[in-house]
Amino acid sequence: DSHIQYERVGADVTMKCGSMDWDAAVTWTANGTDIDESHLNGSYLILKNVDLTQSGQYSCYEGSSWHLKYQTYLRVGTPPKEPVLMCRSNNYPKGFYCSWHLPTPTYIPNSFNISVIHGTREMVCEKDVFPKNRCHIRYLQLFSTVKYKVTLTVTNPLGKNSTTLTFDEFAIVKPDPPESVVAKPVPSNPRRLEVSWQNPSSWPDPESFPLKFFLRYRPLILDQWQHVELSDGTSHTITDAYAGKEYIIQVAAKDNDIGTWSDWSVAVHATPWTEEPKHLTTEAQVTETTSASTSSFMPPPTTKICDKGAVVGSGAVAVCWTAGLVLAAYGVLFI
Amino acid sequence: MAAADSPSDALRRRDLCSRGIRLAGKMRSDVVDLLDTYVERQGLDASASVAAVEGVPAAATEHWDEQTGTQRLLENLAAYRAFRTLLAQMLEDQQEQLGEADAALGQALAAVLLQVSAFAYHLEELLRLESLGPPSEEAAGPTSLSDLSLFERKLRGLGVLRELAQWAVRSARDLRQLTKPSPGTSLAPSPAESP
Repeated sequence: DSHIQYERVGADVTMKCGSMDWDAAVTWTANGTDIDESHLNGSYLILKNVDLTQSGQYSCYEGSSWHLKYQTYLRVGTPPKEPVLMCRSNNYPKGFYCSWHLPTPTYIPNSFNISVIHGTREMVCEKDVFPKNRCHIRYLQLFSTVKYKVTLTVTNPLGKNSTTLTFDEFAIVKPDPPESVVAKPVPSNPRRLEVSWQNPSSWPDPESFPLKFFLRYRPLILDQWQHVELSDGTSHTITDAYAGKEYIIQVAAKDNDIGTWSDWSVAVHATPWTEEPKHLTTEAQVTETTSASTSSFMPPPTTKICDKGAVVGSGAVAVCWTAGLVLAAYGVLFI
Repeated sequence: MAAADSPSDALRRRDLCSRGIRLAGKMRSDVVDLLDTYVERQGLDASASVAAVEGVPAAATEHWDEQTGTQRLLENLAAYRAFRTLLAQMLEDQQEQLGEADAALGQALAAVLLQVSAFAYHLEELLRLESLGPPSEEAAGPTSLSDLSLFERKLRGLGVLRELAQWAVRSARDLRQLTKPSPGTSLAPSPAESP
């Protein structure tokens, strides 16, 4: 005889050796290992305050013959806590999905039953193959003021629990984030970045159900985001970027009229266009040898002399030295 | 309409649709704000369930995506004409109840009533463009409120505004469907009909 036995964590468990008398001589094993006699009361196996590590196969053998008299698989676990349920429509107006999970594991198998009621009508939520704890439902009616009531019941051999969500059609609309976000510098424009993206592919009809977008961007070196809300179009040009600074950019989407904002898209990085540094070694030599002549060196219009932050890369130090030499040359002239 | 659109008709339709979409968006936003004000001033619970109110056209519809353009226009027009009457009734009732005491609520109701009328006009014009012409308004007046208690009238008003908020969302979608260049949104009646 072999079967499964479910017990709660912390319970005291008594196992009988099948039909053997209490005073029969028996040996119990747990996963093939003999169990010490101190755990026996006659032929009964007593496990006090069981914990998860005590799950396993328990077998009882008749003393002298070593015939297997009883076998059980002990599964130690817990009854389910109130499940966490979420419903969302990322493909409005086609339908919505609900997904759920348990806040803590039960360590034993659970089964889930979901019911969806709209007014007087019971709707079928079709379970997804993957992920497991999810089902989807098609809208039969649109623009209804009648709320949906979704009840999820989780059951296992040690107990059951349930939770209910009530919501209206518009409230759960939340698109997936925009896709294919791309940010590019704009040639000859040191303060611009061109950002483009696409509607999430899960949104079935952006023409009839257009999305609006929220763009956020900041240079990596700062914590504060700039925000722009865009009521149409899937591109935007940032015109106030700090020259030469690498930016991080994200986009979110929302139905134009209803529901909530999507999560932020995957972040993209981009740096605005910068002018190629001039041949600085040549400039420095000219300045040193012609002490009476005016320096022909002019810094790029967007940068300040000796402002390291405004000049990209290793050219920064060279610019400062060059400017210093120019000033020194002038100083020598006028002494 | 058996003949193809003239370019000016097509332009006018596009213009009416895009203005109508903007108006529907504004209307919805104003109705949502009005709902908050209404609930507060009338001392109601915002989450109160209101059963379907007689005479209030329900926005809820099945097979929305299969409707023709003509069906959309006719259903919308019937709804907004009904709301025009219902809101006028609410405004009158509110003024009787409170007199000048709550001018803000009265003004908000009046502003929404104006938008509802404007939207009904857009719909009538769109139907005229289809050579269908708007159907004549039904002669029957609004349901009398005199049988209802004050509380019942307040709840009825809540139901009217909630349903109008749904319609405003639906109408924007309906008008966008009209602007889509696909056969399913054809506004033309069957070819056998002649103007």
